[in-house]
Amino acid sequence: MQNTVSHQKGMAEHEPGKKRKLIGDRGNYFLDRIQGEAGVNISACFQCERCTNACPVSHFMDIKPHQAIRYIQLGWREDLLKSSTIWVCLSCEMCTTYCPNEVDVAETINHLRNMAAHSSITPKEKSLAVFHQTFLEVLRKSGKVNEFRLMNAYYLKPDIFQEKLKNGTLKEELLLGLTLLRKGRLKIFTPRSRAIKDIQKAYHQARGEIGQ
Amino acid sequence: MKISFYPGCSLEGMAKDYFHAIDAVFEAMDIDLVEIEDWSCCGATAAHSLSEAMSVILPARNLAAAEKMGLDIVAPCANCFNRLRYSQQIIKKKVFDIPWQVTGDIQVHDMTRFLAESSMIKLIKERVLKPLNGLKVVCYYGCQMVRPPKITGYTDYENPLTLDRIAAAAGAEVIDWSYKSTCCGASIGIARKEIGESLTMRILQKAQQAGAEAIVVSCPLCQSNLDIIQKDRPDRRTPIFYFAELLRLSFIAHGDPKWFKMHFTDPVPLLKAKGLL
Repeated sequence: MQNTVSHQKGMAEHEPGKKRKLIGDRGNYFLDRIQGEAGVNISACFQCERCTNACPVSHFMDIKPHQAIRYIQLGWREDLLKSSTIWVCLSCEMCTTYCPNEVDVAETINHLRNMAAHSSITPKEKSLAVFHQTFLEVLRKSGKVNEFRLMNAYYLKPDIFQEKLKNGTLKEELLLGLTLLRKGRLKIFTPRSRAIKDIQKAYHQARGEIGQ
Repeated sequence: MKISFYPGCSLEGMAKDYFHAIDAVFEAMDIDLVEIEDWSCCGATAAHSLSEAMSVILPARNLAAAEKMGLDIVAPCANCFNRLRYSQQIIKKKVFDIPWQVTGDIQVHDMTRFLAESSMIKLIKERVLKPLNGLKVVCYYGCQMVRPPKITGYTDYENPLTLDRIAAAAGAEVIDWSYKSTCCGASIGIARKEIGESLTMRILQKAQQAGAEAIVVSCPLCQSNLDIIQKDRPDRRTPIFYFAELLRLSFIAHGDPKWFKMHFTDPVPLLKAKGLL
């Protein structure tokens, strides 16, 4: 009886109201997969939290960088792919630089972001995911990224447009866009690269589509 | 001297002024900057976020073009530099198929380190016609130019000095500070404004606390972030210069205020007050 109480108490301290997650028979499958694919020695982490302390955006993350590494060891894949962490990460490489055990934390989080992008899980930070997606769309169309085309394409995404309309920032952003145009910082026309075909082919191959 | 030049997408748009300044500086220094034939985007953060393969393949196309020219690359944009170096390392590991003929053997320099070599600093000092005396600046490097050290090759990643050396050679008074390579938020401000602002504002405040009248940068995105955030703060404004703009100004007897018209935070009053324009 006493055991149960203390057990519940410990649980409450960790995540109030949530059931304790069991590792079950997941084994090392997820850990091995990430270590192999990202080329990172996740097992070397001893939770010193130096990555989280170095991270400039850890307070905007639901799973902190050192926790993300631990989650991988435990095989908690869905929690990681559902997290805001993987999208909020700026790839500023502070965590990687200061890890005493040379765990490439930024590369690991980047790999999780790649996995999330190829999964059916809706990104927790949708606007950030949509921005990356839009960037690549513009890149595929012209081989280079023109900021004017990028911003247009981004704001015209239905989700983004509605969000900006709802929180009332649309007008402010439009005015900023006009000022940028007036100052000559946004160019409506910039040369395209002849690489478009090659880039599109490479892109399809990278997605696992077999070309002709 | 001849070197290939990978400008990157920003230098055709948001940072066109940086491009012009670089052009003028390298011409004055008699270094032949050869733009890479039909270069394409390096993929930036979006490519490595969504497709690791593309983040290696996209820069590889430009590496291949430079290899064909037989010239080392100099890149003015911190992220382009980082992605090119990253791509080189992965190419050598042979984990992705690259559609182009590329070995990854050429040198990729970031422009500030290229110009901070002692021979180049000597050349800069010879070209300086009007030293920027009395202009108090801090130099801001951002992330991608210095981190991670195993990609960028910077050994002094905690206290990088390339921009400091260049600004000092141009005659500016360079102030030491602790936020040289703290992240400015990069493109996160476009989708999550409050995160971007919290990071950029801190850098700006720390620069002002250090006593800087201006910030010197080399990254187009750092420049836009630090510059545009000041648009609604008319009280305390700190102009954000590209290092090439300062060099260009010091190489010539009479600078042109038109060079700075793309800035949100107008540096002309400050430069006039210092007798530099």
